[in-house]
Amino acid sequence: MTLKKYFIRALHRLQKGPGYTYKELLVWYCDNTNTHGPKRIIKEGPKKKLIWFFLTLLFASLVFWQWGILINTYLSYNVTSSLSIGFKTMKFPAVTVCNANPFKYSEVKHLLKELDRLIEAALERILQPTPGNSSENTSPPLDLGLWHQIPLVLIDEHDKDNPVILDIFESNQTALVNETALVNETVAGNETAAGNQTTAGNQTAAPPVPANTTSEEKKYKLAVKLCSHQGSDNCTYRNFTSAAQAVTEWYILQSTSILSRVPLQERIRMGYQAEDMILACLYGAEPCNYKNFTQIYHPDHGNCYIFNWGMDEEALNSSNPGAEFGLKLILDISQQDYIPYLSSAAGARLMLHQQKSFPFLKDQGIYAMAGTETSIGVLVDELERMGYPYSDCTMNGSDVPVKNLYSQYNTSYSIQACLRSCFQNHMVEICGCGHYMFPLPEGVNYCNNEDNPGWAYCYSSLRSSIRHRQICIDSCKETCNDTQYKMTISMADWPSEASEDWIFHILSYERDMSTNVTLDRNGIIKLNIYFQEYNYRTISESAATTIVWLLSSLGGQFGFWMGGSVLCLIEFGEIIIDSLWITIINVISWCRGLKQKRVQARYPDAPPTVSELVEAHTNLGFQHEDAGALPRDEALPPEPGTPPPNYDSLRVQPLDVLGPDSDAE
Amino acid sequence: GAMAPGKKITARIKRTLPVRGPQAPTLSELMRWYCLNTNTHGCRRIVVSRGRLRRFIWILLTLSAVGLILWQCAELLMNYYSASVSVTVQFQKLPFPAVTICNINPYKYSSMKDYLSELDKETKKALETFYGFSEGKSKVRRSVDEWNSTGSDFFKQIPLLKFEDFSKTVTDFRSGQKRKIEGSVFHKDSSIVNSGDSNDIIGFQLCDANNSSECALYTFSSGVNAIQEWYKLHYMNIMAQIPLETKEKLSYSADDLLLTCFFDGLSCDKRHFTRFHHPLHGNCYTFNSGENGTILSTSTGGSEYGLQVVLYIDEADYNPFLVTSTGAKIIVHDQNEYPFIEDIGTEIETAAATSIGMHFTRSRKLSKPYSDCTETGADIPVENLYNKSYSLQICLHSCFQKAMVDSCGCAQYAQPLPAGAEYCNYKKNPNWMYCYYRLHEKFVKEQLGCQQICKDACSFKEWALTTSIAQWPSTVSEDWMLRVLSWDKGQKINKKLNKTDLANLMVFYKDLNERFISENPANTLVILLSNFGGQLGLWMSCSVVCVIEIVEVFFIDSLSIVMRRQWQKAKKWWNDRKRDRSGKASDLERQGHDNPVCVDEDLPTFNTALRLPLPQDNPLPRTPPPNYSTLRLETAFTEQLPDTLEAGQH
Repeated sequence: MTLKKYFIRALHRLQKGPGYTYKELLVWYCDNTNTHGPKRIIKEGPKKKLIWFFLTLLFASLVFWQWGILINTYLSYNVTSSLSIGFKTMKFPAVTVCNANPFKYSEVKHLLKELDRLIEAALERILQPTPGNSSENTSPPLDLGLWHQIPLVLIDEHDKDNPVILDIFESNQTALVNETALVNETVAGNETAAGNQTTAGNQTAAPPVPANTTSEEKKYKLAVKLCSHQGSDNCTYRNFTSAAQAVTEWYILQSTSILSRVPLQERIRMGYQAEDMILACLYGAEPCNYKNFTQIYHPDHGNCYIFNWGMDEEALNSSNPGAEFGLKLILDISQQDYIPYLSSAAGARLMLHQQKSFPFLKDQGIYAMAGTETSIGVLVDELERMGYPYSDCTMNGSDVPVKNLYSQYNTSYSIQACLRSCFQNHMVEICGCGHYMFPLPEGVNYCNNEDNPGWAYCYSSLRSSIRHRQICIDSCKETCNDTQYKMTISMADWPSEASEDWIFHILSYERDMSTNVTLDRNGIIKLNIYFQEYNYRTISESAATTIVWLLSSLGGQFGFWMGGSVLCLIEFGEIIIDSLWITIINVISWCRGLKQKRVQARYPDAPPTVSELVEAHTNLGFQHEDAGALPRDEALPPEPGTPPPNYDSLRVQPLDVLGPDSDAE
Repeated sequence: GAMAPGKKITARIKRTLPVRGPQAPTLSELMRWYCLNTNTHGCRRIVVSRGRLRRFIWILLTLSAVGLILWQCAELLMNYYSASVSVTVQFQKLPFPAVTICNINPYKYSSMKDYLSELDKETKKALETFYGFSEGKSKVRRSVDEWNSTGSDFFKQIPLLKFEDFSKTVTDFRSGQKRKIEGSVFHKDSSIVNSGDSNDIIGFQLCDANNSSECALYTFSSGVNAIQEWYKLHYMNIMAQIPLETKEKLSYSADDLLLTCFFDGLSCDKRHFTRFHHPLHGNCYTFNSGENGTILSTSTGGSEYGLQVVLYIDEADYNPFLVTSTGAKIIVHDQNEYPFIEDIGTEIETAAATSIGMHFTRSRKLSKPYSDCTETGADIPVENLYNKSYSLQICLHSCFQKAMVDSCGCAQYAQPLPAGAEYCNYKKNPNWMYCYYRLHEKFVKEQLGCQQICKDACSFKEWALTTSIAQWPSTVSEDWMLRVLSWDKGQKINKKLNKTDLANLMVFYKDLNERFISENPANTLVILLSNFGGQLGLWMSCSVVCVIEIVEVFFIDSLSIVMRRQWQKAKKWWNDRKRDRSGKASDLERQGHDNPVCVDEDLPTFNTALRLPLPQDNPLPRTPPPNYSTLRLETAFTEQLPDTLEAGQH
């Protein structure tokens, strides 16, 4: 029974609302709401009422304004960074060691023999441009076919406006090959860099140079002639200010072409073997040897060996700072066996990187000099970022539109891998073959002079193309977790003069099983890699604004200005529903009134008395709610009601009691 | 008659805008009214609660809530100016920094002969007398008289002295005589003082030229330092007199220094370098100085795409006394920054390839009131003598130079000239060295106030360098490399370069990730206010409306009540004094108390409804509470419920 009663009450409450007119409703709301302002409006005297009215309005608008700001702040997805520094047991970084020189010269000599003879002869001609020297006559004839694939030329700039191009092996010194005016123009116009008449973009690729040139210029310059295919006129001269640079560049292009035809197994065999290179290894107190290193073939540096890569085995932890608990290595780079023209710097190349990542030695690698002991203190500098929408980074590279060619090494995504893959993809697309320095996509071969005669031209124009670089930069994303190994590098001479003899003796004996000393100061390197006293510095991001933050800030604002809460909002919503209800009732009664007018016009009848209607509405049993509750409009009864104006005038009465109080005195 | 319109107006004003009294006639009633009607939660409990203990607890709780709010809000306010740090990483095309390269030796020794031969001769003599060092065996040792005849101006100016022990007995280098020295002794290396080692100490004496009794003695534990320092003083004197154009010619040209250059995979030459004359390092060359309006950038990291230069360090042409190490000095800096080579340069070894990997970090601090830094340096009262953007280093140097000009009358050689000043030399300013040393000592001890005036810059760029060295050229490539480089240099093969004269330098970006560390205000006003709101709401369900209420009730209303009381008291006292009108005084009192106008008017409102039962409620608390408590203990809730409900309905 009570349930039914409640139900009926609730229903009536829903239908009826706390008032019958908007004014009533508003007064009721102001009186009963939990927000702080409105109550004051009705409870105070007339002047204060006005003040409170404006105050409430002001506070309400303030609340909405500040809410707007807060929601905006939330949607901007700010992050806060927290920094932590200290020492903890951490995974020891993967250490990649390579020789700066990719192959043993003794092993590749048969491949590069012709090339070396060519460059020696060319240098002879360049450096001693006197026809009297005829040392090369005795040697077997040079392979000029190889030379003409990518020739070196000498540019005579005695006449600034009209430089003369001299072919080095072309019918001796006197034969000046005056090239077409087109070529002369480009060389003269842009002396510093690759003058390229085919692509306009190349012009901008060269560093811009102030126009004024000093009077004292060098008279001869060396340039590499690159043609789109052999014998064509579409050629560029890659101009070098230094002959040394030109020779190195030329040699790299030529040797790349030759070596790219050698199968991988053979190339690995020609490189430095682990047992020859890694002479001693000590990790913490535990001995290790070359077998603890993973071999990887790196196109720049030949065979590289990675310690603690974590591919097959668990990564090693280091729980103590200091050199005693780090990795100690003794390497031999056998400098005597370097390829003379390929790498002019001698030393070991090493890099610290994360487990399961590919070592990009050209970017992040450092040198270690022969005959020295290099100590490297490591601080792991980590940056942990939140992904989208907080910052534009990628967690594992799966959302990057570039095919990662380094995934064949089973390594994780990195931006360097992405950029290189991007370049190689462009190379394959444009030149039709892959560059030797980067991994190959499926079904593509490395470029070489035989199959792709114009590859060097294609590669060199692609390499200096700003547009292609920008495409790659735009399409690659950095990883969210960025780990850098900050190194404090110090060096000392090693071995000392006093200990030199016995150290070389032991190491030679262990490696070659002979009592002859096969090592020397020019090849031996000692490395100490260890964690510093503080081994990590982690900057981690966390969302500055969470939904909890937003809610508490919204609540704070609402509470601060008006003492409101979510319930107040619901109250307000209720009032709106009520007012809608009133509107509906009004509209219905208005419609009814119209209809009735028409009916009345036809059947004039006596309207029901007030008492009748009051009785009809008061017996519903909810007067307790408010004393002023009056019968609702004639929504249910089928009989025609009185015209609304009458009711209004009746009902105004109780409000009028308030009226004089609120209006004026 | 005249009063009538005025009265009318006041009456009208009174009618239209009646002056109402406070909400309650007395303070206690006002408080009661406030507690029952306030929007905050605690107060109501105090009034509504029955029983002293309960009421006391509620008073305590309310007060502690108020206390907590005040405390927490004070904390919030104090932490308002705190900054949070954010780190962003951006992968992009990066502007390449300016790279300034200097030879460690400032001027070619061969071309400096005209200026330095006298000084060098003197220095050699000093070395011979003190240490028995002579360069060539064939050299004949000259007598002391001979030197005096050659006019050793240098020693007259700054005598080199050798101390026998700490007995202040010195051997004058010039005369070879022993004499006692007056004045204070400054030890450049203070550790030697306590060592008790009776080894000879060498030093020099600087005297105030105007007042020869005032001398300062600078001593060094090692002759190497003493001779070098002494030489440097004279050297600066000489150099200060040479005009800049001549000095630039005396130093290395770009062709001398730079053998090859390669940037971003393309060849570059000396036109990409800007000459910059450094007073102590001679001609330095800045790559990518941005002077022609363009700043080069790299879109690929890695050693191939950075700057690669081979430097020619002509070791044979080094000044033996000024510099004792061989190589080059480089500094990586922003285009707007002044390269302080002497302070933060990195030294480059010869016969080696130095590979410098860079990592770019940009930092930005918030300026006042968050931290004490300066955005542009415009608010620092030190004139920037360098033609570059502000940095702390620039400020300190400028400040010192200014102090130098002010107190010594001339400018120090190592720093730029302020307007209207000229460099010190002892022809014009015989006193400057003493002055300089004194001033420098003050500067180091922070007595000049430079360290206090200068603030650090709010934003700065930093290139973290990882330097590693490899042997270069390798033994097998040495031969052809040197031949080709010789050809590059002179296009003649008659003089092959030596590898110890060459240095290979590679400067490149390790990666193109730019780290940007910036400070942001941790709090905005919006957040502060919502935190306030949170605190107020949590402890007392209070809002600004409550605060206004409090102001209204506690300040305006209570004040007016108190004022009225006082006024009535005064009136009563006045009336009492008059005695004859005692009846009227009580009338007045009653009138104020009841405030009948107020009551009448408020009748139909809720206010009056609330106020009406008050006098009836009043006797309730007057009954002894313990009785009530004990009685009502069991039925407390049923009894209290209608009571609170009743209050709630009002």
